[in-house]
Amino acid sequence: MWLQALPALQEILNLALRIITSRTFLEIVFFPGFLNVMLSAAFLVWLERKVIARIQLRIGPLYAGLSGILQPIADGVKLMFKEMILPELADAKLLMLCALGLMMLAFAPAAAIPFGEGLVIANMDVGLVYVFAVMSLFPSVILLIGWGSNSKYSFLGGLRSLFQQVAYEIPMWLSVLGIVMLTGTLNLTKIVEAQQRLWFVVPQVLGFAVFFTVALAELERTPFDLPEAETELVMGWMTELSGVPFMLGFLAMYTKLYVMSALITTLFLGGWSGPGFLPQPVWVVLKTFIVASVVFVIRGTFPRVRVDILLRTGWTRLLVLAFANIFVTVALMSIGLGSVWRI
Amino acid sequence: MGLDAWSLVAIFEIVIFLVTFPLLVFGWLMRARGRNPIRDAPFESGQTHLGEARQRYMMQYYPYLIMFIVFDVIAMFLFTWGLAFSSVPMARNYLFLVFIAVLVAPLAYAMYLSGKREFW
Repeated sequence: MWLQALPALQEILNLALRIITSRTFLEIVFFPGFLNVMLSAAFLVWLERKVIARIQLRIGPLYAGLSGILQPIADGVKLMFKEMILPELADAKLLMLCALGLMMLAFAPAAAIPFGEGLVIANMDVGLVYVFAVMSLFPSVILLIGWGSNSKYSFLGGLRSLFQQVAYEIPMWLSVLGIVMLTGTLNLTKIVEAQQRLWFVVPQVLGFAVFFTVALAELERTPFDLPEAETELVMGWMTELSGVPFMLGFLAMYTKLYVMSALITTLFLGGWSGPGFLPQPVWVVLKTFIVASVVFVIRGTFPRVRVDILLRTGWTRLLVLAFANIFVTVALMSIGLGSVWRI
Repeated sequence: MGLDAWSLVAIFEIVIFLVTFPLLVFGWLMRARGRNPIRDAPFESGQTHLGEARQRYMMQYYPYLIMFIVFDVIAMFLFTWGLAFSSVPMARNYLFLVFIAVLVAPLAYAMYLSGKREFW
């Protein structure tokens, strides 16, 4: 009887083998996809601890692996076995669901970011809008975590996250409008192809400045880390998370940092373009890490702003600068410089 | 395989789900059972917690929220203009700059209102 089932089994095995060795599967699971983002996020945790330690004249993690490079993985394994405390007033299922949702949301924009010529999971025509749309869902999930954990610190952190979105969302959209005008497309691969002669950081220097500032607010990084301000709100919206949900939330934040740095690289720093002695994906990852280390240095050197100052800066400075960037771009196009970035 | 972009994104999300969900199940199974009123209380810096966190909070910065609703839509419409920028004659593009300049007046008034702290 089982001998008759054997050919069918073989067929299934063959199909599985074909799927596993297909380029799509390898892209999704290994290089531009899951494993790349996960390991890079872990690397960024280590890099941040090293950079901050350097600023504060410490040494940082040292023992796990070569100068502590395996420390984030050790921390992850430790957190998996930590006690998962779910406060009695909290909605435990909602907390765990939101931790899962944060993780999935943090990884989702990586699907549209090109890591080389044709090396992208989903080459979509609305890539830029897709990335921004997914990223704008974060504050809502963070507010849900604050609501679900039913702790005052968490809830205040979630509310601040929403206010932060009110401050940064519109400058973020308008600061990349110049690039859309120059290239006439929302496809991230085509945006990188348009930068082969000159990176967009040169004609769009205002837009780059605005977008970088806004990215700090989006990532909840130090000048704007109001939702998890350690000195005011213990750990902000992460106060009541512990064990695996905390690990997922923490990793999601670093994944978001990696994806956002890769997006800055893609939009303004030429993506995969660079001298030919290194392969294209290496250039993308290298530039991404450089952008991320600038973020870390800013964390080590700047104080935190207040909520009202953040809102005021977003609406009176960043928004006006983003509008000015549009005017500069129109001026560039009307004197005929736009053909430099035509594909 | 000829999959379109959205199904690839869906497969990517499924892969992430398949990796992270077992972790949560693992943590759920390994969690401490039983009640401990001190451990399970919401953290309030060592104080005994008072009441629920789900109260009414003061809705501050109201002018910003109203402006957000307006400008979010405007930003979307400006994107459609930006996409069609090269195919539209330049003279009509200048009209859009006039449109942006007109927008600045209500924005400046709203910023003047929201700068007054007694309105918060």
